[in-house]
Amino acid sequence: MIALDTRELKTRFAQAVLPDILNDWEIEEITEPLQDLPNAALHEIFRQITAIWPVSHALCNNFLQAVTQGLTCLHHSQLADWVKAILAAYESGGLHQARQLLERVEETFLCTIRGETGISLAEITGRLQPYATGLAGHPLELLPGPEIYTDTAAVYLPSRIAIFPKQTDNFLLYKLIISFQWAFTAIGTFSLHLPEGSPAITAATQKHRTVFSAESAGLNGFFNLFPEPSVAAHLFHLGETARATSFLHERLPGLMRESGPLFENLARTIPQDPHDSTGEMQRTILLHAAQGSGTGPSAATPFSRLFQGDATSQNSACFAAEAYDRFRDQGKESCPPLIFQGVLRPAEVLAVQRQKRAAAKEQFIEALAAIISAQPPQELPLEKEENEALGAEFPALEGQTAAIIPPEGAGKDLPDTKRQGEKTLEFITIDDSRIDLPDPLKKLAREIVEDLGQIPPQYISSAKQAAGKGVAQGSAPPPQEGEALAGAGLFIYDEWDYRRSGFRKNWCSLAAKKIIPVAGTFVGNTLEKYRGHLIRLKHQFEMMRNQERFVRRQKDGDEIDLDALIEALADIKAGLPPSEELFIRLARDKRNISALFLVDMSSSTEGWVNTAIKEALILLCESLEILGDTYGIYGFSGMRRTRSELFQIKDLTEPYSDEVKGRIAAIAPQEYTRMGPPIRHLTRLLAENDAKIRLLVTLSDGKPEDYDDYKGEYAIEDTRHALIEAKAQGVHPFCITIDKEAHSYLPHMYGEVNYICIDEVGKLPNRIPEIYRGLTS
Amino acid sequence: MKNIAAEEHIITGKPFYLEQAEELHIARTAYNNGLPILLKGPTGCGKTRFMQRLAWELARPLITVSCHDDLSTGDLVGRFLIKGGEAVWMDGPLTKAVRTGAICYLDEIVEARKDTTVVIHPLADDRRELPIEKLGETLTAPPEFMLAISYNPGYQSVLKDLKQSTRQRFVSFEFNYPPPELEAGIVREESGIEQPLAEKLVRLATMTRSLKDSGLQEGASTRLLIHAGKLIKSGIPPRTACKATITETLTDDHEMLAALEEITSSIF
Repeated sequence: MIALDTRELKTRFAQAVLPDILNDWEIEEITEPLQDLPNAALHEIFRQITAIWPVSHALCNNFLQAVTQGLTCLHHSQLADWVKAILAAYESGGLHQARQLLERVEETFLCTIRGETGISLAEITGRLQPYATGLAGHPLELLPGPEIYTDTAAVYLPSRIAIFPKQTDNFLLYKLIISFQWAFTAIGTFSLHLPEGSPAITAATQKHRTVFSAESAGLNGFFNLFPEPSVAAHLFHLGETARATSFLHERLPGLMRESGPLFENLARTIPQDPHDSTGEMQRTILLHAAQGSGTGPSAATPFSRLFQGDATSQNSACFAAEAYDRFRDQGKESCPPLIFQGVLRPAEVLAVQRQKRAAAKEQFIEALAAIISAQPPQELPLEKEENEALGAEFPALEGQTAAIIPPEGAGKDLPDTKRQGEKTLEFITIDDSRIDLPDPLKKLAREIVEDLGQIPPQYISSAKQAAGKGVAQGSAPPPQEGEALAGAGLFIYDEWDYRRSGFRKNWCSLAAKKIIPVAGTFVGNTLEKYRGHLIRLKHQFEMMRNQERFVRRQKDGDEIDLDALIEALADIKAGLPPSEELFIRLARDKRNISALFLVDMSSSTEGWVNTAIKEALILLCESLEILGDTYGIYGFSGMRRTRSELFQIKDLTEPYSDEVKGRIAAIAPQEYTRMGPPIRHLTRLLAENDAKIRLLVTLSDGKPEDYDDYKGEYAIEDTRHALIEAKAQGVHPFCITIDKEAHSYLPHMYGEVNYICIDEVGKLPNRIPEIYRGLTS
Repeated sequence: MKNIAAEEHIITGKPFYLEQAEELHIARTAYNNGLPILLKGPTGCGKTRFMQRLAWELARPLITVSCHDDLSTGDLVGRFLIKGGEAVWMDGPLTKAVRTGAICYLDEIVEARKDTTVVIHPLADDRRELPIEKLGETLTAPPEFMLAISYNPGYQSVLKDLKQSTRQRFVSFEFNYPPPELEAGIVREESGIEQPLAEKLVRLATMTRSLKDSGLQEGASTRLLIHAGKLIKSGIPPRTACKATITETLTDDHEMLAALEEITSSIF
């Protein structure tokens, strides 16, 4: 181990932070902690400094302070991963979060790589989110929350579970919690409805001298009938958990079998205390959960009766009312709820229901209004009688509107779950005209009927009003959410940093801009100048358009290829083996190509290059119009990472109009060449396109370069990576460089086969359409 | 191309089919009135089986053509072939069905090129005739002939939609996954497994179907359930059988596979 001397250390540090230049004393101060480190470690540290320094100088300082400490438990080969984690933390939560990693290497970094800190919600979401959705039959979100509970639209979970030493057990616990929370919704815990005079209500009101009101039928209202609602809620929840256990045994036997040891484990953690009945009940639940329905407790007590398949939430409510007195005194100090049980939050469930109802109402009214306003206006002589008839059948309606549900589903008295889906709302009658509902609206209407029992008449009358006002027709679609985070027309992109083999998150912002077209003689002159060439180009491109062509000499086809047949007959006569390929087939290969052209508008194109590019674009557009491929043209420039600019000259769908010609003529040199962001943006545009072949052609001169540290190797590597990303998304990139000599970095930056170098500007207008032709035929 | 006699297309054993909403009755009535039928619905929900059953009940041969995007008019109507130095005409499946009074079933019609579909137009309206251009001949379909087509509207692609001029010639049937009790019955019957196991398979399928559009393109079809049932019946453990026949079949996405595994392991 040879330690470097101070001077050497300082020189190397000064090199690592270039192009920034620091004072000698500053460097001395910063590098001080590194004095006694071995050379191998220092080498690695300096490599990492090049990655950290451009992100944040303060973070780099902090890193150097902490690195000696860090190296006491890390090997220097782990430094790169550590730095990666630190940078990720910095970019998501700033210096504060990064410091956690810097200062507590053992807990925050090493444990995670050893896999000892349990499992996080983020890790399981990918696997268990579809699981939850599958269970529920509708999207059931998994979200981090302070407590475990469900509001029926989402399940709130701890952001990390580290109860068991084994990861698989922690994962299983997550799965179990989700299953139980779903079960509560599925067994109707939240839809508890206790009519006046039901046993639970009678027991509660008589014992505690409280009065039944309309609200008492629901969960919270019922709990409020007791002097201490929390105790009642606690008991009711236990009862429901017992029911959920039986339910899950029936529905998800595999899960319960797998969780057997886990339940037993949990049961062992409950202290044996004969006075604590809550603990006893929890143990009963866990035992039942572990051993399955066959060995469940006998139906001797009111609690154990809840394990039976026919128990309902009303039974749980009865149990809570009866057992309340016994638990009232000890209830407060009793065991905390079982982990998968979570807590009940009826208020949140109610809020979700209301929200859903409001959203459904709004959607329904809007959709129906659109339909109504699309109906032709009619004279309605029969209105009155019809209304009366309907009014008799649907007394709740306003007499002029009615939602018709086919009677076969409506009349049956089936349990709730079975009735769902059988009612189908086929059409709605408004003022005697029958309006058939399109499928999406039918589905929505069914959901509303499931929720409220019928389509409330005011929904329909509001829709009518909205239709009358023409509101529905004029309403614009909601603004598209995209990656346009920081306001309209601004897109945020990552940038590749080769020094840390990772992305700088959200590093660049790209502004979409429009070019103001200029009127002038440029386009006319160009067309005149290349007149002869243009005729040839158009002819060539017309040849490529052949969407239908006969292919001769096929093994099968629609027609006989007479030439081939005669040849074959001659061959037979001559004693030669005849060919089997005797048919003509009509091949129809429709061109299905989308191409985007990305044009360098940096200041270096000033003069001849700019003119040549513009001429080339005009010729290209003229040729492509013949061919009929979809194509778009964008120019790019900008300065620094926060102001990359993308100029739209023609988007994919826009026709080649005079305005587009004017924009091409208006292309003018701007600032610098940061190639990564525009390539990433156009890749995204192309990825959204469903053409079979997607082509991204860039047109630039020389190296990518920006005002900040985007130059040299960094710029080349980022450009290269952006092109690799494009390929990964199924986009074929092709790069055209206008330069006197083909530089050695080009093959690396663009990839061997994906570029061409044009050494003479004057050749560009002729070459570009040819290159495109070569690429696509 | 080997010429198979139309009689060979006759279905001998009674195909198992559980009627859901009088569709067999309606189809028979359509047949008696010389009307063509259109079956739509997701893959593996019983469209082909329905055709087999119908053909069996009507005691007509069933000639099925699976359409693909290279299917030309010649592939349906017929073409000249060279045999021993002479051009010989060879009937295509559609012509054969018209000549022999069979049922011609064009499966996944939208996969075929649009110009190909047009040849069935004169057959599918009251003319009931098939012009064969190359022979200069027009065949009139006998009353026994029936045309049936199917397609899956779930692809939601503009290109894979049936033209109105085509679809408005048919009596249409919508097929969907049967309700759970019926579906369990079908799975039990077809694969020979016990009722509780069939119910579990159906539960699994229902869960995958609710993942449609949130990660899966399609949910598990009844056909897949029957496959799973058959493997289980032959002694393969349920989880393994479901992995092979359902989860791995539905998706290649690793996270989705893992999620489906979680569902399977919960149920079995």
